[in-house]
Amino acid sequence: MPEFRFEPVQMPPAATKLRAEVRAFLDEEKAKGTFTPTVGAMVAADPSFSARLGARGYLGMTWPKEYGGHERSALERYVVVEELLAAGSPVMAHWIADRQSGPQILKHGAERVKKMILPEIAAGRCFFAIGMSEPDTGSDLASVKTRAVPVEGGFRVTGRKVWTSYAHMAHYVIALVRTGGRPEDRHVGLTQLIIDMKSPGIEVRPIINVYGSHEFNEVTFDDVFVPEDMSVGGIGNGWAMVTSELAFERSGPDRFMSTYPLLVEAFREIGDNPNASEAAELGRLVAHLATLRRMSTSIAGMLNDGKSPVTEAALVKDLGTTFEQSIPEITRRLLPLEPRGGGNGQVYDDLQQLAQMQAPCYSIRGGTREILRGMIARGLGLR
Amino acid sequence: MNNGTEDTGVRDLMLRSLDRIVEEEAENAAQAADGKPGFPADLWAALEEAGMTALGEENDGDLGLGNAAALIERAAYHTVPVPLAETILARRLLAKAGIEIPDGSLSVAPPSATRDGKAAGVPWARSVAGVVVATGSDGLALIDAREAASPGFNMAGEPRDIVDLSRAKAIASGKLAGAANVVEAEGALIRAVQMSGAMSRVLDHGLTWANDRVQFGRPIARFQAIQHLMAELAAEAAAGSASALMAVEAVAERGDRLAAAIAKARAGEAAGRVCAIAHEVFGAMGFTQEHTLHYATRRLWSWRNEFGSEVHWQAEIGRAIAAGGADNLWATLTAHG
Repeated sequence: MPEFRFEPVQMPPAATKLRAEVRAFLDEEKAKGTFTPTVGAMVAADPSFSARLGARGYLGMTWPKEYGGHERSALERYVVVEELLAAGSPVMAHWIADRQSGPQILKHGAERVKKMILPEIAAGRCFFAIGMSEPDTGSDLASVKTRAVPVEGGFRVTGRKVWTSYAHMAHYVIALVRTGGRPEDRHVGLTQLIIDMKSPGIEVRPIINVYGSHEFNEVTFDDVFVPEDMSVGGIGNGWAMVTSELAFERSGPDRFMSTYPLLVEAFREIGDNPNASEAAELGRLVAHLATLRRMSTSIAGMLNDGKSPVTEAALVKDLGTTFEQSIPEITRRLLPLEPRGGGNGQVYDDLQQLAQMQAPCYSIRGGTREILRGMIARGLGLR
Repeated sequence: MNNGTEDTGVRDLMLRSLDRIVEEEAENAAQAADGKPGFPADLWAALEEAGMTALGEENDGDLGLGNAAALIERAAYHTVPVPLAETILARRLLAKAGIEIPDGSLSVAPPSATRDGKAAGVPWARSVAGVVVATGSDGLALIDAREAASPGFNMAGEPRDIVDLSRAKAIASGKLAGAANVVEAEGALIRAVQMSGAMSRVLDHGLTWANDRVQFGRPIARFQAIQHLMAELAAEAAAGSASALMAVEAVAERGDRLAAAIAKARAGEAAGRVCAIAHEVFGAMGFTQEHTLHYATRRLWSWRNEFGSEVHWQAEIGRAIAAGGADNLWATLTAHG
């Protein structure tokens, strides 16, 4: 019978010092007014902030030094990432590159490509977008139609990707394309290609989201040339690449800390002497958060040990996104809803309303809740 | 991490030995004991002989809290109807107060149910050699309550008696700072660990059932509605279990009351959802006395109330964090790695 154990991890001694350093840096940035804490974990982007993180060695942390990395442990990286999220800092510009594109390239990329791209990511100067979804391809990822036709020295790519977050800021997109077979062939014939956003034939069109922000894009590829060595994991291995990539990005703190800054502001608004129901509602959220953090760090430890906790990661994302979505629903029961028009409550009011409008996306991005529950069911032996 | 994970070799041997005893001595023991006045003496003797009842008071070494908790969790998985968890809890408390620990089965009176000279909801008071009671603000007493107990039961048919304290015999007493609070938190930790074991049992029951039960020509596990319910059950059980495991380490290392509160709050909330989903998946079949599902679900419904409900502990957590100030929440969450 499957049993999910979330054993403790011992944070390396260097992590404590590192945490203090990151906090001091973030306090400095806040004092300078370079960012205002916001909800969303991955919606605010500031390339200059990303570059400062790179300069401090907070990006590409676990990668070899020869590729611009810092050869630190996954747990040290975990500490940096959760501190950045807890502070509500603008991390989105580099987020995808540091979290998943860089590690994928390091593991499965060609040598020339690794040398060209990884040091730039680690410096906070090179950003990535993910090209998986298409107009007719959402959760059913194997149905992609974007086609890459082999030509002399590489491929010509034609097709359309949607919901491509921050493509307008990205230097590259890793696109899942069909190099063989037809859409009916499903997982066969898929390849991941690293496409330079400066290539001729690419058009980026903004898609404005429900709260009026430009994060999404539609990216059209019209006969775009991609050099042969720009694949991730080789030709025809796209499906295996995508599934392993998604498994690794599902258990991090960005899957449960999106609305953490709102929780902090709710505590501030309620003050040091909460009534019984305020104390219980907020205490419940703290109990959930502490537990999620335990599960997430435990998975970081498993990944560090070379294990592949796919089902555990899906469990954390399902629980985590439910938790972060619940925060604005709970704080709205505890605190005034009418806008107060400036003054002390303004920070809370703004975060509450933004969190409310953002919340639906938490359980969609990175695999919908329903897809994840299907994966958990598979892990349980039910399908 | 000395206590949560020490010497897993010893632990594995102990857990296998418990499995064997349960198989040999306690087949249907939960059924036999359900709501009955007696004490399963043979089962207790077998556990005692295997050295499983004299655990818990050491805070280090291979029989520390980590191993005791693993045993309590497995016993709860088997719905073993003896006061094993209570005995280990009592031994921990007596050791803290410097009171000599007697042989045999023991129990603990939940502080919040003790008032006006009566202790209510006392597990197994009628049968055990001694009951630990918090007295005044800083006192701990060990009493023999066997002649002073009126029998009662929790929802699972486990003995929960009312003790007339004026009629109980004093055995020993000692000092323990904030005794009632300590008893409450230690009790909450033990119940959270038990809930982890029982939720694991409910998950196993549910998976077996979903794969075996055929409707509309196929196992109900093939239906997406059932798959999603079971995924949610597994996630809640995993969260409850993770919070309990975290608290065992935190209490063993530094007597971390907040971690115990978090575990009781989170595991208790998970237990409610786990039971509701399991009964939904089992349909009418799981709603009968004949099926064994209810030995775990009725225990979960009971245990989440005992030694403080979720709301009780959630409010304590909320007050503690609020008193520390909003900007210290993150430092508190990350204080121990």
